[in-house]
Amino acid sequence: MTAAPSPLLVAEGVTRRFGARGLFTRARPVQAVTDVWLSLGRGETVGLVGESGSGKSTLGRMLLGLLPPSEGQVWFDGVDLARATPAERRALRRRMQIVFQDPHSSLDPRRTIGAQIADGPTIHALVPPAERRARVEGLLGQVGLAPSHADRYPHEFSGGQRQRIGIARALATNPEFLVADEPVSALDVSVQAQVLALLADLRSRFGLALLFISHDLAVVRSLCDRVVVLYLGRVMESGPVAQVLEAPRHPYTQALLSAAPSLEASRRRTRILLQGDPPSPSAPPSGCVFRTRCPVAMPACAETVPALVDGVACLRVG
Amino acid sequence: MRLRPAPVAAVAAIAVLAVAVPILPLDNPTRMEIAHRFAAPSAAHWLGQDEYGRDVLTRLLWGARVSLSVAAASAGIACVLGILLGLVGGFLRGIVEVLTVRSMDVVLCFPPLLLALLVVTLLGPGAGTLIPVLAVLYLPGFVRVVYAGVLTVRSQDYVEAVRALGAGPVRIMGRTILPNIAGPVLVQFSLAAASAVVLESGLSFLGLGVVPPAPSWGLMIGAARATMTQSPLLLLWPCAALTLTILAMNALCDALRDAVDPHGVPARRRGAVRLPALLPGLVPTRGPALEVRNLTVAIDTPAGVIHPVRDVSLAVGAGETLAIVGESGSGKSLTGLAVLGLLPPIARVVQGAAWVEGQEVLRLPEPARRKLRGGAIAMIFQDPLSSLNPVHRIGDQIHEALLAHARRGGERLRQRVVALLTRVGIPDPAARARAYPHELSGGMRQRAMIAMAIANDPRVLIADEPTTALDVTIQAQVLTLLGDLRRERGMGVVFITHSLPVVAEIADRVAVMYAGEIVEQGPAATVFAKPLHPYTSALLASAPHEDGSLPDGIPGIVPLPHELPPGCAFAPRCRHRIPDCDAQRPALVETGEGHTSRCLRWREFA
Amino acid sequence: MPWLLKRIGTALILIWIVATIVFLAIRLVPGDPAELLLSQGGVAPDPAAVAELHEQLGLDRPFIVQYGDNLRRLAQGDLGRSLQDDSPVVTEIARRLPRTLELIAAAALFAIVTGIPAGMLAALRRGGWLDWLALANSSLALSVPVFVTGTLLVLVFAQWLHWVPAGGYVPLARDPIAHLTLLTMPALAIGLGLSATVFRMTRAAVLDVAQRDYVRTARAKGVHPTRILARHVLRNALMPVVTVLALHLGSLLGGTVLVEYVFNYPGLSGLLVEAVNARDYPTVQAVVLVISVLFVALNLAVDLLYAALDPRVRHA
Repeated sequence: MTAAPSPLLVAEGVTRRFGARGLFTRARPVQAVTDVWLSLGRGETVGLVGESGSGKSTLGRMLLGLLPPSEGQVWFDGVDLARATPAERRALRRRMQIVFQDPHSSLDPRRTIGAQIADGPTIHALVPPAERRARVEGLLGQVGLAPSHADRYPHEFSGGQRQRIGIARALATNPEFLVADEPVSALDVSVQAQVLALLADLRSRFGLALLFISHDLAVVRSLCDRVVVLYLGRVMESGPVAQVLEAPRHPYTQALLSAAPSLEASRRRTRILLQGDPPSPSAPPSGCVFRTRCPVAMPACAETVPALVDGVACLRVG
Repeated sequence: MRLRPAPVAAVAAIAVLAVAVPILPLDNPTRMEIAHRFAAPSAAHWLGQDEYGRDVLTRLLWGARVSLSVAAASAGIACVLGILLGLVGGFLRGIVEVLTVRSMDVVLCFPPLLLALLVVTLLGPGAGTLIPVLAVLYLPGFVRVVYAGVLTVRSQDYVEAVRALGAGPVRIMGRTILPNIAGPVLVQFSLAAASAVVLESGLSFLGLGVVPPAPSWGLMIGAARATMTQSPLLLLWPCAALTLTILAMNALCDALRDAVDPHGVPARRRGAVRLPALLPGLVPTRGPALEVRNLTVAIDTPAGVIHPVRDVSLAVGAGETLAIVGESGSGKSLTGLAVLGLLPPIARVVQGAAWVEGQEVLRLPEPARRKLRGGAIAMIFQDPLSSLNPVHRIGDQIHEALLAHARRGGERLRQRVVALLTRVGIPDPAARARAYPHELSGGMRQRAMIAMAIANDPRVLIADEPTTALDVTIQAQVLTLLGDLRRERGMGVVFITHSLPVVAEIADRVAVMYAGEIVEQGPAATVFAKPLHPYTSALLASAPHEDGSLPDGIPGIVPLPHELPPGCAFAPRCRHRIPDCDAQRPALVETGEGHTSRCLRWREFA
Repeated sequence: MPWLLKRIGTALILIWIVATIVFLAIRLVPGDPAELLLSQGGVAPDPAAVAELHEQLGLDRPFIVQYGDNLRRLAQGDLGRSLQDDSPVVTEIARRLPRTLELIAAAALFAIVTGIPAGMLAALRRGGWLDWLALANSSLALSVPVFVTGTLLVLVFAQWLHWVPAGGYVPLARDPIAHLTLLTMPALAIGLGLSATVFRMTRAAVLDVAQRDYVRTARAKGVHPTRILARHVLRNALMPVVTVLALHLGSLLGGTVLVEYVFNYPGLSGLLVEAVNARDYPTVQAVVLVISVLFVALNLAVDLLYAALDPRVRHA
């Protein structure tokens, strides 16, 4: 057995708090992400699943170094993002990119898409100015658009096409790590499938490590190797897709799976209907954050924060 | 950015005149001819002469030069400084923000004219004082506009994207943020310049602005006031010049604002459109909860009339759920709104009929239709936060629904409100009735919307994407609630959605819409098991697969409503397209018991 | 209610800054105020007289002592004495301030009574001739500066038609009818432009609110159109209108200068202009300070009003 290759990206106990800013405000800080440990190998695709307020986008931005963690470290290829020198950070920027959810706000309405795709290569001096145009046209071809589209403005494109442009912009720097933050949620289902197929294709062609953020388990199932389930900023369960989505062990994952509507409704096990709303991230419950909605909660759940053991953070399991 | 040409031309003309004054063949504006005091207009002096015998036209034109240069200089200085401070404050935040942006509040503590007076008192009058004073006055406006713009633009994903690409702050500010706030800054500049003209003339009128004998409209008006009974014309000329200049500048402000922030073309609501009377034989014999036949909706656009809903027929029985499924632009929401008579002002029903329990509703006069809305037929919408009035309590808004259909109000209605909130599963209903919408969670708000809709026991409930904005665990709760209510009250439910899995969960029957038409309709189980239209099968194949394989997409995009193909609307994206498909629009054909398809080749799929 | 305390705290800080700026502005201007004051008429001032005035004004003491003394007296409500007649400035301000406030109130009343209904009507008849006419009217009204409106009113109604006197002031107690007659023209001169502003705001706000989702919800409930207009459209549309109106009224606190001058109306601004011309620094400082404090207080009131109208603000 050979030694496992070192992972590309490692997050060690990252936590992020918001709020408590300003001279006079004494607002209660919101803990968006709490103590998350995560690693991502080269070429691996990890799905980050959670409902609104679960902190999945915040975590994605911390992994990219766009948002500094309040606690914990993020290591990219052996470099601590928080302690990197400005020069190192600039170099790292080229190697990790992001694709956004909203196809309307993710492109600058006042610049041609060619100029926006060329930004990355220009900033990092990847290609000589004379070859920029060729590079842009090549990228457009790779995401299924025509070279002549480079001179058009974002409003001339449909949502699906804009998402392709966003992907081309991210790929322009030849990144090794890509965060896709709900890249298909805003698209119609027939277009969703096109964009998913494109992402899957590019991932294998470029050997990308991909963090795929989504609230849709079915989409994650079709694209990811591993999945991490977040609830109120904490990891509830993580593991290989087949294991987590076919035989979920955490009560939250079970509820999430059974709540998702399915085309094959008849195949469903009995539905677990969660009661109530998720608590506010500014006042999370003590102990296990899920216990207030958990169908199998017991008194001990209010006392201790369950550790993530063998991929599950639940006192009832194991 | 499209700008109305008239105001631009007017302001440009005034500006050109002001710039060209020195080279025009005019008198010296300060040359006096005491002998010709108050002379009437003549060939040599078109507008007459003033109290010192100076030429009025010359002084007016020179006055324009003074006014506009003070305005342009002060607005320009304020603009440049404001952009700098606003950009830096908005981008760097923290203490820099306090110093650059919050400090402007101090300037705003002084009413503008007062501040100008104070400074002029201390430094003495004259254009040299006026320009910096006005610049200081307008600075907070620019800082605020730029700062607000930076904050808005900053939160956009495209700025985050440039940051992720490794761009430095200077590049981000110059390349990405500045071009995107240029519009509002331009508007602010025109506002400041117009206001500067007003202030300059006002201060000069008081004798605290431009110093005589330099020509200024304010000074001219001030001087003419003393003699206005003898020669009112002397007063009217500068008044007219000043007013027209400000009018032109204000018009330019409005034009700029409209160009920067376009809000729809003013739409005139047409008078009530009279649909042709129904033929006697058309009335349905049995009375389902809701029946719609041949509904067509038209919208007038600058490019011509479009028909986003065409020839839609559907029926839903009591206690039954019909799902209308389609992607954006399919016309599914407009269909629901049309039945209720809630179409936006630009849209109108041009053909078709709809019956609620046997009563035709599209031809009813508005007061009768109003009685029906929220009574026999109710609707819930996608976004419960924007659909609830933010300033009224939840309970009051439900009470209003009851009151609109009750003979009299009173305590009984109040009790019904609490009962309704209890029924839709809102915990502590009496307290929640006093809550405002923003105090509830998304799921609770949608429950409140449902309580409002079922308040008067409707026979038909139209639900327009009611769970799209909700998380999946909350969606499951709301779907369960809707199903329970339907069974309990025997309502017919029209469920409009884009999600096929949701349809599979809840619908008895399904109508699939594409580009404004129903392409297939039938029992949900049959349609899902054996779709008879290629669009339905393609849509099903697009949904994420349970087995984890990647879904297939549909190539191409939905055609725009004014670029519909002549034949089948789906043909350009269809795998089964044959030449006949492009020849003419296929009709909806009955393929089996209660199952219809709009495909020429449906037999091959059966 | 920490939100309220915070707002009041900010307002107090702003007033302190204003007082400091006014103090500094008068002291830091080139030239000795005492010399300037005494050298009127072009005669070189007598050094003894200058020194005496220095002592009287407290200018001979260290700067920081002057500043502290100044703030302490202001905090006690002592605004100083006029250099013209040595009377307490506060008496004159107390006499004149109500007149200016009455003028502003009359103008605001006119603007509200005409602007809000016209704005509503124009929005409901959007695109019709009524809307067009009202819009054109408001464009014109917004483009005529108040002193032009005032001067033209005097020309037409006083000089040509002789319906009203050209200006002046009569106390209400002495002759109520003359008092109101004299108030009408200056109030109208201010009110016309203000009314156009209110009209435009109302029209835009009603148009905006009328297309909100919650108005559609109210229609879907079968609520009567009149009730929708009153409870859903107006209630929400008036919030921005009230705010803008209040801020405009605030800027009028110093902005009545021109109208008071045109109509010879003895208000607070007139006092300011007189004091400016007489270089009566204590009076200038006091008037500026009073107006600024009122302005800050008005802004605070607007915020409170907004919180009362919009439940969302209270929790922000």
